[in-house]
Amino acid sequence: MSQEELVAIQADKVVDARGTACPGPLLAAKKAIAEITSGQVMEVLSADEGTKKDIPKWATKKNHEYMGTVEESGFFKIYLRKA
Amino acid sequence: MPKRMTMALFSGSIDKLTAAGVVLTGAAADDMDVDIYVLLQGARAFRKDVAADATKLEMAENPQLKQEFLDSLKKLNVNPWLEFFREAKELTNVKIHVCGLAGKIWGAEKMEDFNELVDDIVGISEYITAAQESDVHLFI
Repeated sequence: MSQEELVAIQADKVVDARGTACPGPLLAAKKAIAEITSGQVMEVLSADEGTKKDIPKWATKKNHEYMGTVEESGFFKIYLRKA
Repeated sequence: MPKRMTMALFSGSIDKLTAAGVVLTGAAADDMDVDIYVLLQGARAFRKDVAADATKLEMAENPQLKQEFLDSLKKLNVNPWLEFFREAKELTNVKIHVCGLAGKIWGAEKMEDFNELVDDIVGISEYITAAQESDVHLFI
């Protein structure tokens, strides 16, 4: 998915985990994805460098779709579609 | 069937307990079943009065940096060690078993002597059996 397409996504749920370090964002993502339904999109905001690899890996393992990551200034947004 | 992890938690030092908590969180996010066997020093950390007061725990390595470690955790908004265990228990099937002998060494013989996160007091054979059957086994 291109950056333009990702930026245009209206996520069904936004999780702002910028205040936490690993494993905070993963934990927040794990909890929040339970609150959306299959096919819905979740956006995770984080400034924790390790999370950039961690959440896509976790999501793929759990059969969710990792749609991509968008860099912002000082943080990034990870887009996931729930399995 | 979910994957299983067993952890022999020997350490009662705040740095290792924090690391154990982070690993545990990863396993919980992965929906693993986890059995933690709390051994010697670990049993003291789970004693009710010690669990309630992190200042009663020391560092395993670089003891002179304890304050810097605690300050950094606070600044990074990282939970106190026990909260990792609490959160993991909320997320997945995590059981905390305390070694009976270890508890006795620290004057904690009954369930009410331990923090409420502890599930039971067990003997060594239960730990060995669980470790044999698990997919991941750690000693911390």
